[in-house]
Amino acid sequence: MSVKDFVTEYIQREYTVPEDVDIMTLNYVESGYVDSLGLVQFIATIEDEFGIEFTDDELEDTNIKVVGGLVSTIEKKIAQ
Amino acid sequence: MRSRLADMLYRNANEMPEKMAIWCDGKTATYKEMAELVSRYSNLLIANGVAYGDHIAIPMNNSIESVALFFSAADMGVCLVPLNPTLPLNAIRMAMDSGDMKHLIARKSFLSESSRNGGIDVPGVIICLDGEFEGTIPFSDIAKMSSERPEIKENINGNESLILTMTSGSTGNPKPIDISQNNKYERAMAHIRVYSITKEDRILAATPLYHSLAERLVILPLILGATSILLPRFTPALWLNCVKEQQVTFTIAVSAQLAQILELLELPDAPQIDSFRAIVSSSALLEENVKLALIEKLSCEFHEMYGTSETSTVTTICFQKASHKQKSVGTPFDEAKVRIFRDDDTDANIGEVGEIACKSSLTCKGYYKLDTMMEAATHEGYFRTGDLGYLDGDGYLYFAGRKKEIIITGAVNVYPHDIDVVVVSIPEVEECAAFAYPDDRLGEVVALAVVPKEDADLKLRTLKTYCARHLADFQQPHKIFIVDKLPKNTMGKLQRMNILPYIQEMGLDN
Repeated sequence: MSVKDFVTEYIQREYTVPEDVDIMTLNYVESGYVDSLGLVQFIATIEDEFGIEFTDDELEDTNIKVVGGLVSTIEKKIAQ
Repeated sequence: MRSRLADMLYRNANEMPEKMAIWCDGKTATYKEMAELVSRYSNLLIANGVAYGDHIAIPMNNSIESVALFFSAADMGVCLVPLNPTLPLNAIRMAMDSGDMKHLIARKSFLSESSRNGGIDVPGVIICLDGEFEGTIPFSDIAKMSSERPEIKENINGNESLILTMTSGSTGNPKPIDISQNNKYERAMAHIRVYSITKEDRILAATPLYHSLAERLVILPLILGATSILLPRFTPALWLNCVKEQQVTFTIAVSAQLAQILELLELPDAPQIDSFRAIVSSSALLEENVKLALIEKLSCEFHEMYGTSETSTVTTICFQKASHKQKSVGTPFDEAKVRIFRDDDTDANIGEVGEIACKSSLTCKGYYKLDTMMEAATHEGYFRTGDLGYLDGDGYLYFAGRKKEIIITGAVNVYPHDIDVVVVSIPEVEECAAFAYPDDRLGEVVALAVVPKEDADLKLRTLKTYCARHLADFQQPHKIFIVDKLPKNTMGKLQRMNILPYIQEMGLDN
């Protein structure tokens, strides 16, 4: 499963993102697809799935809360 | 005799077919459309072998279809078991076993995840809510079903279980709270009376539908003939926009939500909210400054309530009407009586702290198949809440903390023992204890103190990954501390309340 597919499937566990929403620019935290309780689990699940570890700086970067930003951060870390 | 809850919805559909019954996430249904959806849903279930007395599990999200399912279940005498969709699979399996689930309604992502991990066995039918999935009935079949209310041959007397609410017990096994149709009806009626709710109200439910609060907030308007506004998921911004757009007049919110909403309301470009008639805050007392600021911003009647899932609301207080009792959670509903028990089951004096116990006609049927557990929690007909408090001379109740070891994060109850048993199964862990850590936004978050085995190389990442795999989202530790020992008393019993001070004393809490 690609990084993008994994992330988009995970954030839609409870709710389907409407078709007219550009999913790559979606802030999945502000729009409530993953809440503040779920974020800790989401990050740990990603680290587990892709064998990576986010740094504190990466976790504080607001870009990581946008689907596209998160996907590219994961892809960069996998390539390292 | 037919279901009183369903009868009231159908009656409203006859009397005011074009009135908006419900809004959720930009979609709406009139009473006529809602009644037709309920009928179609019932017919879909009947066509697939669902029958009176069956239990249906559903990892539930907030949607108009989920609300329709409550009424279909009521009309058919079926019991629903709404589950938190973020629960790990093994917890869902345990919940399904303890609730005798016969059928399952779920989203494709849940079905595909469970099929990758050994699947879930149900003796009855599985309905896939979104799209198609092998071995399941697509929900889209509902379009082929009749919109006529089906005939049911059984007599629905109202004592049928309508909802089993899963709470995790302190042993880690689910403790299903058994709520009958009559419970739901009488709870709705009590709240309609106490908060003077009318057909003109637009009532917001902004918590997940697998909790009893949101269930009440959607059933209540639909039997009354008011309008239900269902927030699909909560963020403070979504809540404010929804209230503004949908002109919400009444809601019961959890206090952690209100504190977050206030943060946003205090920003310079915050929307002006002027539609509220009354707001009720539940689950924990709000700080007085938060309460005052909310009243100023929202300019409406402001109530606080105290209750439990087992008993429904026990006491309530209106800020504007009882300004001299601001630290109280109020006086009992007409349906409820409160006593304060000492440890030896005698009654505490006025002003003396003890365990809050409640006798109420709104109390649930019991814990499903756990009669002895309900009996053990009850003394002279009074349910022991596990909360500490006292009464004053005027009969006002004051909350003074929790007797049970429990963490409440964003109004969700987390039993620390459930986390302990998972984490201690990590081979490198000698012992561990989850505990409450104060948090401005959520009230408390879960923290974890872990003692590694001697010479073991325990990594934080191992802990985090293990928790992500084996615990639900609300159980995830937000802070993890590696410690050399856990605070215990002389008998070797863990003193959970002393973990945070110990960590601070050791300088680990940076």
